[in-house]
This record gives sequence, C-alpha cells and structure tokens, in this order.
Amino acid sequence: MSDPIIRTEKLGKVYDNGYRTCALAEVDLEIEPYTFSCIMGPSGHGKSTLLHLLGGLDRPSSGDVYINGANLAGMTSDQLADFRNRTVGFVFQFFNLIPVLSVLENVQIASMLAGMPDREQKERAVRLLESLGLAEKAVARPNQLSGGQRQRVAVARALINDPDILMMDEPTGNLDSTSESELLDLICSLHGKGKTILVVTHSETVAARSQRIIRIRDGRIVSAEI
Amino acid sequence: MKPATLVLRNVTRRRSRFAFTLLGITVGIASLVTLLSLGTGLEKEVRKQADVLGAHLVVTPKGWCAYEQISVLTGETLPEAIPDADVKRIASIKGVQALPYLTQRTAIENQPVPVVGILPGPMEVFKKWEVEKGDYRLDERGVVVGHGIAKQFKLFVDDVVALRGKDFRIRGILSEVGNRDDLAIYLDLPVAQELYGVGDKVSFISVKVDDISQIDKYILEIRNAANVAVVSDKQLLKSVLGIVGAVGNALQLIAAVAILAACFGIINTMMTAIYERRREIGILQAVGARRKTIFSLFLAESGFYGLAGGLLGVVVGFLFSYAAAPYISQNEFTAFLGSEQTVRLFDPAITLEALSFSVAVSILSGLYPAWKASRLSPVEAISYE
Ligand SMILES: Nc1ncnc2c1ncn2[C@@H]1O[C@H](COP(=O)(O)OP(=O)(O)O)[C@@H](O)[C@H]1O
Ligand SMILES: [Mg+2]
Repeated sequence: MSDPIIRTEKLGKVYDNGYRTCALAEVDLEIEPYTFSCIMGPSGHGKSTLLHLLGGLDRPSSGDVYINGANLAGMTSDQLADFRNRTVGFVFQFFNLIPVLSVLENVQIASMLAGMPDREQKERAVRLLESLGLAEKAVARPNQLSGGQRQRVAVARALINDPDILMMDEPTGNLDSTSESELLDLICSLHGKGKTILVVTHSETVAARSQRIIRIRDGRIVSAEI
Repeated sequence: MKPATLVLRNVTRRRSRFAFTLLGITVGIASLVTLLSLGTGLEKEVRKQADVLGAHLVVTPKGWCAYEQISVLTGETLPEAIPDADVKRIASIKGVQALPYLTQRTAIENQPVPVVGILPGPMEVFKKWEVEKGDYRLDERGVVVGHGIAKQFKLFVDDVVALRGKDFRIRGILSEVGNRDDLAIYLDLPVAQELYGVGDKVSFISVKVDDISQIDKYILEIRNAANVAVVSDKQLLKSVLGIVGAVGNALQLIAAVAILAACFGIINTMMTAIYERRREIGILQAVGARRKTIFSLFLAESGFYGLAGGLLGVVVGFLFSYAAAPYISQNEFTAFLGSEQTVRLFDPAITLEALSFSVAVSILSGLYPAWKASRLSPVEAISYE
C-alpha cells in the first residue's frame, strides 16, 4: 500500500463566534492517492468543515493535516495560498464564479495567480473548456449559463493548474439529474486520468460510483470502509 | 488575463457609485489645479509688476493699508490724497526723481479699464516706452493707450474713446511691454485731475533716487518735506506678497477640504465594495490568491480612482481657471491671480503634481479597506449564503 496523499491526526475544529460549536473532533483519516472517495452524513455534521481543513481553506483548532507528507499547520498563509493554488482544486456547491469575468477568464484565474504567462493561461483554459464541451461559451458571462454548465466551468477552474487532488463540496446539490449524471461522468473520467478525488455528497448515485464512503456524524467519523 | 483586467471590471461594475466617487476626486483635484494654475508664478508676477513700477520708493498718503498698496501695483482705482504742493516739494529734493500717478477707472464695453493720469515727458523717459502706432502725444483731448487695451477692444489711432462723457482721441498706441502697462489708458495728469474732479491731488508718487545706498536719508527727507507715508519697493513687495499669500492659503484650505471629502468618498466606496464582494474575495483566496495579492488588487482599485479622477480633475481645473481668469482679475485682491500672463491652458508641471497627488491620496485612502479585504478568511467568505 502506498503512502496516503491525505492524512489527518486527531483533527478537530471548534467555531467560536459568540457560542462554541464543536464541528469536528478527533478525526483520524487516511486517503490513498488516485482514489475516489465520498464523504457522507447529515447536514450540519461537519462535512464541509472537514473538506475546508483538508483543502487548506481554514486552520484546525486541534490536530494536524498532512498532504503528501507535509503538515499544513507548518505553512505560512502565503504557502497555504500557494498550496490551494497548485495542489488542490476546489469546487463548491454554489458554483462561486466571478460574475464580472467571462467563462474563459474565470477558468484562467488560478493560472493568473500562479504567474503563468497570458498566452499559456489562455491555451490551457481553452483546451479545458473544449474537453468539457463548453468551448462556445468561452466569452459568455456566468449568469448566461445553466447550473450544470456553471458547475463544469467551476471544475475547469479547479483543474487549470493540474492539481493532484480535486475536492468538491456537494457539487451536484444544485443540479438536476441529467446534469448530475453528466458531472458524475466527468468526475469519473478525471479519476481515470489520475486525480485523487474527494466529494462531499448526499447523492447515492455519486456514492455508488466511488471507491470508498466516509460517513460522518456529529463531527466524528463513524465508518470509513474501503 | 492580467490582474488589471479584474481591477477594471470590478471598479466599474457599480456604475453610479463609480461615477459619484470619481466626481468627488475630480472636484477635489480640479480645485487644486485651479488654485495652482491661477497661483502659479503669482509671486513672480507680483515681483514683475513691482519692477514695472521701477521705483525705489513709493510715496502714499498716510494710513494706507496693504490692500491699497496692492493697488499701486495692479493699477486699480485709488483715492487721491496727495496735493500738488507735496508733489512739488518732494520733486525738489536733490537726487530724487518723482513721478505722480492718478489712477482711476473707466468702462469700455462694460469692462473696467484703468485710466492713469501721468506726466507724459518724465514717464516716457522713466519707462522707456516705445510707440507702436501714431504719436506719443497727451493733451486736452488726446490720450495714448496700452497695447493690450488696443488689442482687446480693437482700438486704432484716431479712434475716439469717451471718458466720463467726454470724447478723447487716441493719438498713439504703445508697443507691447508684456506687463500691466499694456492694460491702461494714459491721460495727461492735469487733464485727468480735472476730468475726475480731484483738484490738484494725485494717488501716489513713485520715486527713483540717484544713490540707492542713501535710501534711508531720502526717506527721512521726504517725510520732512510732506505729511506722507513712504515705503521702499522691498517693503511694498513684502506686504503685497503677504496678502497674496493669505489669499492663496485660503484657497489651499478649500482645495484641501475638497480633497479630504473625496478621500472619505473613496474609503466609503471601497468598504462597501469589499462588503459586497467578500464572497468573491473568498473565491480568489480559495483558488490561491495570497493576502498581498488581495491587498494589491483593492489598492489598485482605489488608485484607479485617483488616476481617472486626477486626469478629469486636471482637465476641468485648467478649463475652469482659463474661463474664470478674466472675472477674477476684475477684483483688486486677486488681480494678479488671473492676469493674462499667468494663466495657461496646460502646464505639465502642475499636471504632474496634481496627478501624483491624486493617485497618492487615493492609494492612501485605499490602504485601510485593502487591508481589511486581505484579512478576510476564505471560509468566512464562502460558507455563508
Ligand atoms: N464559519 C462558521 N462559524 C460558526 N459555525 C460554523 C461555521 N461553519 C460551520 N459551522 C457549524 O459547524 C457545524 C458543521 O457545519 P458544516 O461543516 O458546514 O456541516 P455540513 O457541511 O456537514 O452540513 C454546523 O453546526 C455549523 O453550524
Ligand atoms: Mg456543507
């Protein structure tokens, strides 16, 4: 068995704005590279919190996250930003595209932040959009797209810097079933191309295609069968 | 894509807010440019006029204030208070050359024009005037006019001008000398005295002395000879520059207040924008924007206000000062501010100064909002619907 690409040790998160919420406690988790895993559990039980901590979007209250053996806790905020830029790609439930930018520009964003030259940014983004069947939407604004199209743009944005890991938080939560199955096909093909994939989902359809289901209840992992 | 693309799209996404904020900085910078362009070379201009007067000493009635002293240099109407007897006594002092002036005003085409009563002979020698057209002949019915007045009102030799209801023929037009002497009508002193009904009195006397090192002695002698005040050209210059400086300071204060208000406008706009866009800030951070990148993006946005508002302000400011100059110059206090020689439609030094100032204050105003934006956390921005 290879070294885990993601590993946590006694990971915990307490939110404290006014009153304390213990969102995550004592999470020990290992995820192998090139796997497709789902995180499932009822609403408000800490799934998003876990994904945010694994993706370096937030810092834990206790415990550690190791990605490729490196402890995120030891990183400065700049290093963490670079980690989010290159190592993980994040897709949110609510698409989260930037409305003043075109589809193409939304996809380019992360490569611009990585300091990639203009031409290369554009080439990559165009190629990605083509592979996702969105080539003719390149100059459109996000609000001119359907939900399914927007979510595919969000996936393209997450992939532009060719990250090892793709993290998605309820990516099909706002999609109809046709769009959901299209997106699921896309996720599977990305998995086939060597990405490690971690998806928070309520959808049994998505879960059925994954290799592993991690179940969370009250901020704790209750089962993580492989 | 370049970061500038994002900045430009964001800065203009709320049209009316963008316009009003821009207007604020435009007004502020326009007032600064107006001030600078009207006031530029102000001091130089004052000194030049003092040179034109060509006097070592100026003899004025007792009790004149600085306001009236300015008028000696600007050629505005002055009260007449020194009698001919005093003029004669001062002129008879050895080593002293005295030139009496009576400054009054008339109107041509409803615009005020200085009328100056002089002694034609001594004045011509003293000022080294040259005649462009006609003759240098001032008498009962004849006047000469400065180059600028002739040009402005399209006056020619043998034209007739009415002064206080009496017709005078223009005998000559002086060559251009490039100062206020171009902007007056000159009358023989006794004729002017009679015309304006001032008896044998004059407004002031400009005095040139043979030996400048003995200046204090001459001042004493003049004071003994007549009941008058005597100021040296340097004192005159100093008090005039003092007043001009005070006017300038007041204008600067107005510009400063306008710019300060514009700064708060920028701060307000940026804070609102950051609140509205906190989710997008979170997205940028999630895809890898560092804190200083967020900081720079927002700072660039406020800097853009400074650049665009500054450019607009420079244009408006120059147009305004160009348009306002003729009106301003009718006021004694600000006579220098708008004299023809000082106002130019474009001045690279002022443009540069105003633009860099505009950008600098805008960036300064943007510092706090940009810092606030950079402190947002990616999750906070993304989690809430
Ligand atoms: N930024 C936050 N501040 C305070 N409490 C939060 C925050 N984010 C999540 N929580 C709380 O933490 C718990 C877990 O939330 P979350 O991870 O979003 O759940 P899930 O994604 O499983 O629905 C919930 O009780 C939620 O209210
Ligand atoms: Mg969630």
